[in-house]
Amino acid sequence: MKSKQPLQLTLAILKPHVVKSPFVLQKIRDLIIDEGFKVVRSRRTIITPMEAESFYADHKEKFFYNRLMTFMCSGPSDIHILTAHDAIAKWRTLMGPTKVYQAQFHAPHTIRGMYGLSDTRNATHGSDSPESSKREIAIFFKEFNIEHWFKNEEIFYNSGNLKFDPSLFIHTIDRTRKINESDQDTTMI
Amino acid sequence: MFKLVRNYSKLSSPKVRQKLTATNTKSPNPPPNELPVFQYPVSQSSDRRVYVWGLAGHGALGLQPPIAKRKKFLFYHKPNRLRFAEQHRVIDIESGYGFTVFAVDSKDGNILWGNGINTDSQLGYDAAAKDPQNVVPLPKPIHLPLKNPSSQVTGLAAGRAHLLVLTTEGLFTLGNNGYGQCGRPIIVDEDYTNNTIVHHIPDIKGERIKSVTAGQDHSILLSESGQVYTFGWGADGQTGLAHYRNEYKPSLVKGDLAGENIVKVACMADCVLALSDKGTVFGWGNSEYGQLPSLVDNHQINIATEIQECRSLGHVVDIAAGGSFCMVLNSDGNVFVWGYGILGVGPAVQRAKEPTMIPATLFGFNAYSRNNRVSQIYCGISQLAAVTDNGDLYMWGCNKFGSLGLGNIEDQFFPLKVAVGAQVKKVSCGVDHTVTLCKPYI
Repeated sequence: MKSKQPLQLTLAILKPHVVKSPFVLQKIRDLIIDEGFKVVRSRRTIITPMEAESFYADHKEKFFYNRLMTFMCSGPSDIHILTAHDAIAKWRTLMGPTKVYQAQFHAPHTIRGMYGLSDTRNATHGSDSPESSKREIAIFFKEFNIEHWFKNEEIFYNSGNLKFDPSLFIHTIDRTRKINESDQDTTMI
Repeated sequence: MFKLVRNYSKLSSPKVRQKLTATNTKSPNPPPNELPVFQYPVSQSSDRRVYVWGLAGHGALGLQPPIAKRKKFLFYHKPNRLRFAEQHRVIDIESGYGFTVFAVDSKDGNILWGNGINTDSQLGYDAAAKDPQNVVPLPKPIHLPLKNPSSQVTGLAAGRAHLLVLTTEGLFTLGNNGYGQCGRPIIVDEDYTNNTIVHHIPDIKGERIKSVTAGQDHSILLSESGQVYTFGWGADGQTGLAHYRNEYKPSLVKGDLAGENIVKVACMADCVLALSDKGTVFGWGNSEYGQLPSLVDNHQINIATEIQECRSLGHVVDIAAGGSFCMVLNSDGNVFVWGYGILGVGPAVQRAKEPTMIPATLFGFNAYSRNNRVSQIYCGISQLAAVTDNGDLYMWGCNKFGSLGLGNIEDQFFPLKVAVGAQVKKVSCGVDHTVTLCKPYI
């Protein structure tokens, strides 16, 4: 009996300039789905300076901190909790290197290489570790309980018993379908 | 098809009619002793064509409405002649991020047209627009609150999501004002979708505005007396106002510009160059890639500073600034580049700390062609372009979505001539598309 590997959660942000470009937004959304990510939560919001401050606390001393803060708060961003096996590394690979001016030559087929405008307007964000994904999810999805999700909902996302709403860009649990018996067993172990 | 038929009926200019009849003269029964004389249509010196290439997916090319196909990118890596420009007398062009605008010489009041992304109403509010994604696939008129029906557009500048239109009645700004780049107070959480606001700046301290320039999220005005005023995002120092804040009021740039007569300002992203009547080059803003060479320790320069490295280059006559590099042209027609990227001086992505000359032979200068020197230079964020006296266009750099127009999508490491079927008069590089205003050869 093949046991199912647990899923991993990551926080992805599609930054303001992507949200304002319908073509790019659609391309990135298609990529997320085609690469097998499941979208656990989605929201569109203008990030507040307070949220951005706690989100980028690590960068406080960097020269680009003010630039990053003002950019992130400049317009609506799409914030998603994505899940997949090894979601954090997978999403970061798709995104490519942080610096767009270098990524466009060294990683031209990544999201940043294709859709980034400058080192700050670099299209997307992704958590860099399981710890930071927890921290980042807590900032933007206060009501989202990670432990509860792993205990009660992960199994549906892992087994693919889901409905997808393309306009809201979110996967919801399809409770009309029965979870495969064997799947249930393995996750119980 | 319907649209086409309707537009043909609009061809009211007698010259165009003449041309059509001339080419279509085909009498079914020619008189017996008279052979039909075919007359080629010869263009007038004021005739213009527009060629476009690059990414079409966001509608910025104004060609056929793109058919959305999953996993496919719709782009044109060769120059495409724009039908719109055959039906309207286009006098100026400008491209922003995913949108293009055209200034048109017209009597019916529609002097400004645009197509592409309109999510921030950078192409104006259209009550009849039906597209939920706010994309305008084909050029449509942009309404400006003009008082005088004979007003004309005299300058254009477009950023990431805002548009500056200089007219004989002053400056009009449209689109995103999140950083104050439209020159009006920033309203927190303002919704720019289907926004009706067109801001008017009649003059600058009583002085006429001579020209306008836009970075991705900031704006630059040049007054008639050669003074520079900026507003918008200042986090990289790109407003040159000695601070890093947003500024919505057009404010005078001082620093080394004090007392100078600036004749041109160039900016594509966040690094700004300014050129004085004496041929002195100044810069401010982002310098993470050494765009402002002598200030290597500082990535963000918020004071206009003379670029001393340009002093030895002779009389500089044109300037251009990309995302991570800069380019200048001297009066001998020689092109110099520095910064980071595909600069055109070697087969690699490279850094040049000092202005480095691109050999003139790469722009078609040789023993048999001595009079064809580079006369204009342009930059996209990662693309570079040079136009010669004869109207030949050379491009090089990052070839995102075929935006170099060279017939392929490989990055181009040295200047290569673009097969535009006309004399190039002006180039406007968007982020991933390019638009050229041209004059027919004959």
